[in-house]
Amino acid sequence: MTATKLSISGVGKNFGAVRALDRVDLDIAPGEFVTLIGPSGCGKSTLFNMLAGLLEPDAGGTILLDGKPGKLLGRTAFMPQRDLLLPWRNVLDNALLPCEIEGLPRAETRARAEKMAVDFGLRGFEKHFPQQLSGGMRQRVALMRTFMFERDLMLLDEPFGALDALTRSMMQRWLLDIWARYRRTIIFITHDIDEAIFLADRVVVMSARPGRIKLDRRIDLPRPRDAHLLTAPEFTAIKRELLDAVEEESLKSFSA
Amino acid sequence: MLRAALPILLLFALWEAAVVGLAIDPFYLPSIRVVAAAMQAQSGSYLDAYLVTLAEAALGFAMGGLVGVASALLFTRLPMVKDMVLPIFIVSQTVPVIAFGAIVVLWFGNTLMAKAAIAFYLTFFPVTINTLAGIAAVDARQVALLRSFGAGPGAVMRKLLLPAALPRIFTALRLSASLALAGAIVGEWFGASRGVGAMLLAAMFNEQIVSLWASILVAAAVGGTLFAAVALAERAMVFWREEL
Repeated sequence: MTATKLSISGVGKNFGAVRALDRVDLDIAPGEFVTLIGPSGCGKSTLFNMLAGLLEPDAGGTILLDGKPGKLLGRTAFMPQRDLLLPWRNVLDNALLPCEIEGLPRAETRARAEKMAVDFGLRGFEKHFPQQLSGGMRQRVALMRTFMFERDLMLLDEPFGALDALTRSMMQRWLLDIWARYRRTIIFITHDIDEAIFLADRVVVMSARPGRIKLDRRIDLPRPRDAHLLTAPEFTAIKRELLDAVEEESLKSFSA
Repeated sequence: MLRAALPILLLFALWEAAVVGLAIDPFYLPSIRVVAAAMQAQSGSYLDAYLVTLAEAALGFAMGGLVGVASALLFTRLPMVKDMVLPIFIVSQTVPVIAFGAIVVLWFGNTLMAKAAIAFYLTFFPVTINTLAGIAAVDARQVALLRSFGAGPGAVMRKLLLPAALPRIFTALRLSASLALAGAIVGEWFGASRGVGAMLLAAMFNEQIVSLWASILVAAAVGGTLFAAVALAERAMVFWREEL
């Protein structure tokens, strides 16, 4: 039996009369990169909020982190869609925010952040303020902040959603590089099928509301991956399969 | 500095040109040169008035700013206290300060504190309201992010809500700077012997028009000093712009 990092079983959520999420079961192994894809309003963000501990699942559902139940707040590293950088803090201080909240020793975390800034392509920008940065850079600061919050499980909610296509594909390759180096477990929400396949060990497709797991597809494409993969026949075969599943759900949510 | 001085000099020039060009009766508007000469002749007493009123207004302003921000933070942490106390704050503001003046002097005597108390009374409320508005405008997702890092209510307040509210707090402080001056002057009208308000009153009763205008200029100097202090602090603390 392999160890599981995260085990979700029977997790659902109602908001008043609206059933947002319907019995989700999902197991994620340590170090795995899982992408989550599904139509708008399928409850992906609701699921994330529960994994971050910001929202309680309805009775009957359990979420086990490292095999243990309990409060999730502060135990997973959550990155929301918008970068949400604080405009009065410079790059380094923004990245250090979670460490400050944890009360970690200042000098030590600062040294770690300065080293990490190099990996995140932020060298020379440590003293810049968010207003002075491009969208791609701001997103890297937000990601670095998430990495500085040293939790094995990272929840990334459409981190590249707002970026232009070119910046986006660069950021994807860069993220894989960072992931290989830091070895964290990542769940990554996206609307983009190419992105989902390119990044993942596993793509999980969610159904239209109420959200359920519709398809759980392992992606055995070799790593490290580069841009050529996007046009390889095995990639397009997987894409076709996933596209069918996603379209079916999109149509459902469209006609609903 | 120069940018602030230039419009004032221009205003003085217009003033002088109007008085000379339109041959205005000095009873209605004396020449700025005459006013300046009078101020120079009694520079000691005008400087005294400036300092006294500045101290009163600044003390009341500082108390008002502190209490305003502190009460808003308290209200945010304990909404029950807000529901009980904020209505009292609002009612207190419906009573014109002049109605309280005599009582305040009765309580504090003819002291610095009496004038500062009136200045305080005028200043704290706009600060409370604007701080509350600034905190209310903070993105809920931003709060959720900090909570996901394990931040409790205290850390959310220190790291997010208070700094995010700073632009609005300073908007209120700039407004309060002139209110504090008005409070100090009104306070002096209840029997003070020193300060700009006392000077204004004496000049008015004695129909010393030049002295009246000189007092007005001193009052403007006090207001300008307070305003400049707030603007400087704002420039240092809110170097970023509101974009949350």
